[in-house]
Amino acid sequence: MKNDAPANPLEILAYIISAQIKDETIVYVGTGLPMVAGILARKTHAPNITMVYESGGQDPIQGGMPWSVGGPFTWRKSPVVMEMAYSFGQCYNGYVDIAFLGFAQVDMYGNVNTHMIGDDFHQPKARLTGSGGNNDLTSLTENMVLVGLQTPEKFPEKVDFITSVGHLRGENTRKEAGLPGNGPIAVISQCGVFDFEPETKRMRVKTLHPGMTLDIAQMCTGFELLKPEGEIPLTPMPTPDIIEILRTEVDPRGVFTSLPSA
Amino acid sequence: MGVFDYSKEALENLKIEAPGILDRLVDFENARTVHLSKDRSKKDKRISLKEAVDEFVQDGDVVLDTGFGYVRTCIQSHFEIMRQGKKDLQMIGAPNTNQSYMIVTGSVRYSHNSYTGAEMRGTDRNYTRQLKAGKVRILSEWSHGGIAQGLKAAQLGSPGVLSKQMLGSDIVKYNPYLKVIQNPLKKDPDPSLFIPALYPDVTFIHAQAADKYGNAYIYGPTVNDLAGAAASRKLVITAEEIVPEMDIRLNKRGSIIPFFYADAVVELPYGALPGSMPGCYYWPRQWWEKLMRFAAINEENIKKFIDEWVFGTKDQIEFIEKLGGAKWMIEARRQTKAAEGDNEDVDFSYQEYTINNDPGIFY
Repeated sequence: MKNDAPANPLEILAYIISAQIKDETIVYVGTGLPMVAGILARKTHAPNITMVYESGGQDPIQGGMPWSVGGPFTWRKSPVVMEMAYSFGQCYNGYVDIAFLGFAQVDMYGNVNTHMIGDDFHQPKARLTGSGGNNDLTSLTENMVLVGLQTPEKFPEKVDFITSVGHLRGENTRKEAGLPGNGPIAVISQCGVFDFEPETKRMRVKTLHPGMTLDIAQMCTGFELLKPEGEIPLTPMPTPDIIEILRTEVDPRGVFTSLPSA
Repeated sequence: MGVFDYSKEALENLKIEAPGILDRLVDFENARTVHLSKDRSKKDKRISLKEAVDEFVQDGDVVLDTGFGYVRTCIQSHFEIMRQGKKDLQMIGAPNTNQSYMIVTGSVRYSHNSYTGAEMRGTDRNYTRQLKAGKVRILSEWSHGGIAQGLKAAQLGSPGVLSKQMLGSDIVKYNPYLKVIQNPLKKDPDPSLFIPALYPDVTFIHAQAADKYGNAYIYGPTVNDLAGAAASRKLVITAEEIVPEMDIRLNKRGSIIPFFYADAVVELPYGALPGSMPGCYYWPRQWWEKLMRFAAINEENIKKFIDEWVFGTKDQIEFIEKLGGAKWMIEARRQTKAAEGDNEDVDFSYQEYTINNDPGIFY
């Protein structure tokens, strides 16, 4: 049965993430939407990418959608499954081109928090998971893309805990801290795609999704967004062909791309 | 006075007044002495899980959480540690997801935290609550890669590694073991992070197969377990099956932990439950959803859940009965084989556990 419904927000996000992926690159993916996006990229504009995972799985044969990043779909018939130390080592050594991760908070310099909400480490409003691999990938990977929901609380001026250094305090401070790579190159939310202004390294609007205005994006943000010169372009939207591939070949059960029913 | 020069800023931030508690994790001389004193003989090391926990886990030990959160993790051994009322353990691991429920019963009192959670199942509200109530003290914060490098340094036979992870982050301010130093070979400033080699006291590793001497075969992600086995003072191998030594020598071409690290071998089929085991069984997914969405939300629920699943079962066989017995075993094997590409036509859809809808099944 053909599903002609217009793309839902999660499908649109999966497409926008996939559009960041260039062909013939090594892509470090987390589970959830980044994995959907990686497979979509492979089935559309980037058939020759190699996907690698924190389980250490390298280039698995595509299966279904995984329930966990350690699950078999991330190392299905992998020629090699790396130990954890080596799977992050490959980011430092220049064998990963781009990585995608989520966040609880991201600030104006792309620093990420997945540790805690609140200002007291010992009595937090909420204690979160801690770093996991977030710090390792953000520290080491050549290009980092952050994906998440945009609200003023999740986009504060300063994060409550710097789990992962993006551009630290802007300008050259990431490099001065001793970190390699470009750091975060993009933030993708339900509002738009953001990049970082090359001098100050402050978050800047790159494109807005159709129907979104700069005012709304700013209202969803806890700091002042920089604007590009001239008119802000619209984020390209998936064509019906791409939506059909997403629905029939990538995530047919809608594990990560169907909206929860009310 | 201690021999280690811990980061003062981190000790202050973490409010650690008696830093001696940090020593064992990085005490190489002691770990080496313990390793040197191990019985080298190739003898039958098989004992029961109860005996292994009783003999090799001492109150206050630094315990390594192995596998990957709930993939090939020694969870049935954790449950036995809780049943025997072991106390005041420090837990380290990348991740260390399983410390959360072990805090509730007092088995884990200290955390070297890297990641406590269950991915998309949501934030672990139990961990927040235990932390606020002072039932767990964080002794150090880590990234996954930082712990991986610390254990790997031990396996490499090195005092530590210079790393580019965690630099500039608040993790360094909450980890007494880490020091930012200048790369000694560079003329220009090149801040690098010294991560010391890490030596847990006791480690349980669940393997697909082992011989009675402790040669253990792992299939699928080994994560940090090859390094952890080399580093740990005491090592207990638990295995889905015990095989002849010649089977390991001739057939098992994957990852092997050598027998001389192992102090004990436990035949423990389904020892990773309620986690998954590559080649053997898939997760009872609803168990984890129920843990995170129901049990974790308040103290009463988590205690009830632990009473039911940990203290209410005496071993993994009773645990399997509660999951659905033979029906669960058949489904779990079918699903894991399909997920690994070893059979076909398996439907992975299932009835998720939500707070409003408990399907009452675990496959």
